[in-house]
Amino acid sequence: MKRLHPAIARCEGLSTFGLPIGLGVFILVAWQVIVRRAAVPQVILPAPTDILLSFDGILGVLAHHAWASGSESFVAFILAAILGATVAILLSMSKLVYEAIYPHMVLFQLIPKIALAPLFTFWLGIAAPSRLTYATFISFFPVALAMMTGLARADANALRLCRAVGANHWQTFFAVQIPYSLPYFFSGLKIAATMAVIGIVVGEFISAKEGLGYYILYAGSRGETAHIFAAMIVLCAIGLLLYGVTVMAERIMQAWWRG
Amino acid sequence: MAPHIRIEDVRKVYRSGKDEVEAVSSVSFAVQAGEFVAILGPSGCGKSTLLMMCAGLEPVTSGTISIDGAAVTAPRARVGVMFQDSTLLPWKTTLENILFPVRIQKRPLAEYRDRAHDLIRMVGLSGFENTKPHQLSGGMRQRVAICRALITDPDILLMDEPFSALDAMTRDEMNDALLDIWERYRKTGLFVTHSIREAVYLADRVLVMTRRPATIVEDLKIPFDRPRDHSIGESVQFNEICAHLRSLIEHRQSPAPARSAAA
Repeated sequence: MKRLHPAIARCEGLSTFGLPIGLGVFILVAWQVIVRRAAVPQVILPAPTDILLSFDGILGVLAHHAWASGSESFVAFILAAILGATVAILLSMSKLVYEAIYPHMVLFQLIPKIALAPLFTFWLGIAAPSRLTYATFISFFPVALAMMTGLARADANALRLCRAVGANHWQTFFAVQIPYSLPYFFSGLKIAATMAVIGIVVGEFISAKEGLGYYILYAGSRGETAHIFAAMIVLCAIGLLLYGVTVMAERIMQAWWRG
Repeated sequence: MAPHIRIEDVRKVYRSGKDEVEAVSSVSFAVQAGEFVAILGPSGCGKSTLLMMCAGLEPVTSGTISIDGAAVTAPRARVGVMFQDSTLLPWKTTLENILFPVRIQKRPLAEYRDRAHDLIRMVGLSGFENTKPHQLSGGMRQRVAICRALITDPDILLMDEPFSALDAMTRDEMNDALLDIWERYRKTGLFVTHSIREAVYLADRVLVMTRRPATIVEDLKIPFDRPRDHSIGESVQFNEICAHLRSLIEHRQSPAPARSAAA
């Protein structure tokens, strides 16, 4: 790699944070100016300051709905992680089962699963179990697929070593295949973290008495567009939190992996 | 005395569709207990395949390989294997990697821990017991791999170009380390390499394998006494032996048909 002059290297450091933040600020300012200059009605598009001000007075309500959506998203995410890993391990145990089911799972990925959401209300009612099941259902796929790939891609040399020292199927599986699949598992989890929130919000759109999805519909029906944006900001925060927890767990795994 | 390892008329043919590639063609030789034999040949001559068959990691197409008179059909505990790649598990420390075969074979860990520390001292890795592989140099990783191959005190050590990925200086160091280990533990050894000097420096006997046919064309006894050191590398005799082996390999290489270049 080319050695950079120290002054330029400092600029590089600045640009990794400075550039995206600068662009974000620019967009917000432009948004503000355009909305104000063109006198866009608040119902169509509120200015950033309107959104900020709209938090005042609904903080308590938002917190209540955020807790409902956040806790359900978290539960769905954890269930997806457990279910995804379990399915991947079970399918990887038998080559026959794996070959029979893996193509279907990939095909299933192509279904716009959002279209299936109403079915879950038929099957499981309009309360939390239906939303949780749906959110788990759409977020476990990426986990299962990623982990199956990881299990199948364990280092060939390490597998040969296992054979050379006389390891049986299970020993090889736990001592080598599972550890080698962990980086894949975590890349699946990061997708699941966003999918779980999407699943819960979609569930709340269909049937809920609380939660940010419900609140967005409610605010929409009253033409309070700024509140929709406020709820969306809170949703982003929930998604970031789930993602952040995953990244932290991944860091711990990497520390164990590489010391 | 019956030979420790006997290889009789062993062939290995790889089939892919209608194509047949003869990777090893009717190889026969025997290795006595405590003998260090190097198999020398150009890359792609089937020498590694031959070693993997001895380790029970590849089936033979025909012929037999036997250890202590029993045919090899699967990997066995009395054989330690070293690969070209150190194949250390990245999440395990030096000590844990060395004890991996002990754990897999469900031997008592406590008993082998002392032996592991002895081996670590022997190869000069003291102080690195709790270090993970990515913090070790290539040479150090192969030292860990030697310890792992020796931890269960096997009778036979099979080595598949273990130092070929290392730089020349580290390679010389590793050869000396291996000779030291050899003096101390005296296993039966089979060492695959494409380095002529390495083969002559380490082995009691050098078998030369060519690509076409993939078989052994020379079985040469190396007359140097042990313990050996690098001074023998400068002797006339050493260099004459090397020249002889080189001429064998080059002579067999030249008339090869054009399509073998792609192999």
